[in-house]
Amino acid sequence: MVSRRFVVERLLLLVPVLFGVGTMVFGILHLAPGDPARIVAGQRASEEQIGQVRRALGLNEPLPVQYVDFLVDAARFDFGDSYQIAKGQPVRGVLVDRLPVTVELALYGQLMGVLFGIPAGLLAAVKQDSVTDHVTRVGALTGLSVPIYWSGPMLILLFSTFLGVLPTSGRIDAGTFLPDTWTLFGVRLPLTGMVTVDTLLLGNVDAFVSAAEHLLLPAAVIGIYSMALVSRMMRSSMLEVVRQDYMRTARAKGQGAKITVMKHGFRNALIPVVTVIGIQFGTLLGGAVLTETVFGIGGMGRLIVDAIGASDYPVVQGAVLTFALLFTLVNLVVDVTYSYLDPRIEQ
Amino acid sequence: MTSDERTVDRRSFLKAAGGAAVTAAAAGCTSDGGDGDDRSATDTYTVSSVGGPFLQTVEAEGTDTLVYARGDHPQNYDPQQTTSGEVAKVTNQVFDQLIQFDPGSGGQLADGLATEYSLEGSTASLTLRDGVTFHDGSELTAADVRASIRRFTDSDYDFYLGDENRSGYGPFTFGNWVASVDDSQDGEVTIELQQQYAPFLRNLAMFAAAILSADQVQGQGANPDDQAALGTQPAGTGAFQLEEIDNSNQRVRLTANDDYWGDGPQMEELVFKTIGENATRAQDVIDGASHITDNLDSQSSQQLQNTDSAELLRKNGINVGYMAMNMDRYEPFRDRRVRRAVSFAVDTEAIVDSIYEGFATQASQPLPPDVLGHNEELEPYETDKEEAQSLLEDADQTGLEFELATFSNPRGYNPSPIQTAEQVKSDLEELDAVDAVNINQFSTFTSYLEYTAQGRHDACFLGWYTDNADPDNFLYVLLDPKVDLDAVPDGQDWVSFDTEGYSTLNVSGWANTDYMETVREAQATLDQDEREEMYTEANRLAHDEAPWVFVDYAETLRGVNEAVQ
Repeated sequence: MVSRRFVVERLLLLVPVLFGVGTMVFGILHLAPGDPARIVAGQRASEEQIGQVRRALGLNEPLPVQYVDFLVDAARFDFGDSYQIAKGQPVRGVLVDRLPVTVELALYGQLMGVLFGIPAGLLAAVKQDSVTDHVTRVGALTGLSVPIYWSGPMLILLFSTFLGVLPTSGRIDAGTFLPDTWTLFGVRLPLTGMVTVDTLLLGNVDAFVSAAEHLLLPAAVIGIYSMALVSRMMRSSMLEVVRQDYMRTARAKGQGAKITVMKHGFRNALIPVVTVIGIQFGTLLGGAVLTETVFGIGGMGRLIVDAIGASDYPVVQGAVLTFALLFTLVNLVVDVTYSYLDPRIEQ
Repeated sequence: MTSDERTVDRRSFLKAAGGAAVTAAAAGCTSDGGDGDDRSATDTYTVSSVGGPFLQTVEAEGTDTLVYARGDHPQNYDPQQTTSGEVAKVTNQVFDQLIQFDPGSGGQLADGLATEYSLEGSTASLTLRDGVTFHDGSELTAADVRASIRRFTDSDYDFYLGDENRSGYGPFTFGNWVASVDDSQDGEVTIELQQQYAPFLRNLAMFAAAILSADQVQGQGANPDDQAALGTQPAGTGAFQLEEIDNSNQRVRLTANDDYWGDGPQMEELVFKTIGENATRAQDVIDGASHITDNLDSQSSQQLQNTDSAELLRKNGINVGYMAMNMDRYEPFRDRRVRRAVSFAVDTEAIVDSIYEGFATQASQPLPPDVLGHNEELEPYETDKEEAQSLLEDADQTGLEFELATFSNPRGYNPSPIQTAEQVKSDLEELDAVDAVNINQFSTFTSYLEYTAQGRHDACFLGWYTDNADPDNFLYVLLDPKVDLDAVPDGQDWVSFDTEGYSTLNVSGWANTDYMETVREAQATLDQDEREEMYTEANRLAHDEAPWVFVDYAETLRGVNEAVQ
């Protein structure tokens, strides 16, 4: 069992982490060149008008004042209104729209990584130095080495251009629009924002197929890297475990090879793999920036890129802190899972 | 409706599509999507509005939904809050202006919400079209026009949009010129200007001059935050009405306005989808998942040229790309012989043909062809290194060394800024008198604009997409310093950026009083023939005095799927 104290301690650690991230993103944004007022007013505006916008946005206040305002608001998860991307709209609403998009992409990518990576690593370890092992290792190395901005367009070329079996971009067919809510036993409930889930909740099979088709390539692009890393880690971890005394003992007492590997080896070998999967989730979120750009998906990654380009400080700050929160929460889940797998860790 | 009925005459589409000039800047997937960014989207925050609505004339075969792929997905569709071409593409379908640009005419004016209009002296008089209703059901009246202008420009108005929300087009289009708007006569609007200003009717046709419903404006609430929210539920009088802004999927869905006062729309639904990466967007049109796209770079343009299922439409754009020489900062540029020498040395033909891959033409003057006052007699500077050398010798110049500032991400008028800068550097360093040209490269366009607006560059690349296809929009806006004539010292043709009233859109510091007098007089001259003569002369002056190296006029490019016929 995982103790409540352990979880609370980990949750409290979020505070300094988010404070640090918030301070860094605030500092970097305000030190970087580029005046948001100039973007808001546009190239046609005079210097006087740009000054008016700067004053109206509070950008003429001393930096420490802006910083304190930012911290106070951020503590309430209020980042104010977007300057440009969603002009005049609260950043919180923008994040609510975009976060499920990236989470869905990352989850499917992770799912692909785990579903293919773990069996591949396991197989490679059990059949060490066989052809299977070599193929897996070379495949993993290739997967780790291929950048998303290359693999993405290549997959589009292959599956969309040449074979014509999968769509080029987006999350769902351009003509398919989903309602905002779904009904369960007569009660109207909001949708999740994850299009594969929402289409199922709505019972719209055609839309689900369209969403799944759209998701396949981007999830594969993100998943390849994850798959490669997980399979490598699984292989090396498993190789270490199979050499342990308790494995030999299990075999000596007459237990079958498969049962020994799965019952005694797999769970122990999984500990470092779980860590990798957790940390990997952060990489997946980072990978979302490129993947979303290549595949025309409007998630958090694309939002951050756009917002940085537009010097839309509130959106950048909100999005980065949300990413940080997500990342640390995933790490917390990893830690909890970890201590479940090996109770000694909690100590 | 049968598929045959759904086809549109290709000629009319070409006309319409070409006429609706769009920002054709192209950026790769890592472009700094925001400063305009250039955004992958490209020239997102620079807009070219000439063209107005045209999608109501377009049909696609075999479907009731026309899909337009664009490079960016802004979330606010208020024409008064944006300088983004991506927003204007949508608002031009939802809203109308009093006067509109006739698609494909190169900026000719046509009736919009006004059926009669005139500018006499400093008074613009307009008669509103009868029976026009907004998407919110209210009927168009003169009060809507007044409310639209006041919301954009008048800080005393209860429903003023606010300094932090309104775009720079507020003062640029109306605020700097309008003294009052009279809506007391039923169906008539009289706009008094602060001075005689010839381009004003053209300003009324700009995308930002869209007419909003007074009911909606007043219903939003009397503070800027409430007014800003209008951008999520815009309701104009246009051929399409907004159905949904789907931010999670970066789409905007419009449906046909059955009560539209003009012809069309031909399609029942119009969807704007977003694909930031140019090559992917072009592929989407080739695959037929989208019907039309724009903001194409040379690579994606070639993709479209090399397929049977889609077509690349090309038309002269109303824009100019240039390299400005800053006379305020780099002393040798104050000598016209040096500026002319630079113009003779830079091989703009190679830039246009090789670097821009033929998707642009060589520029000869600030004003592109098709705009009133373009001087047909002027030719681009021929590359002549000997002439350049001799001019520099005459000017007694040696050991020239200066900075050449450039941005990084492609823009329509300069699709390869780094390569262009390198070409210029190499051309100039071949001259004996030039020791070095030092390229200063900026990663974001905003910081670049900030730098050039402060006059910190020796030379820089910039360009301009027209707002209203008026010569004033190039010649006065970009090359008149807007200072008092008396502020220019005798015998000098430049002023400091610190001079009172200086407009930083003039990044060369050039202040030629003959030129200034000409364009100022032309701005206040209503007779078109007289204006044309003045602008022709102003172009000659600019060409001969060479404050810029005139680089190119970029083409407007669109990819169109074969279903659109």
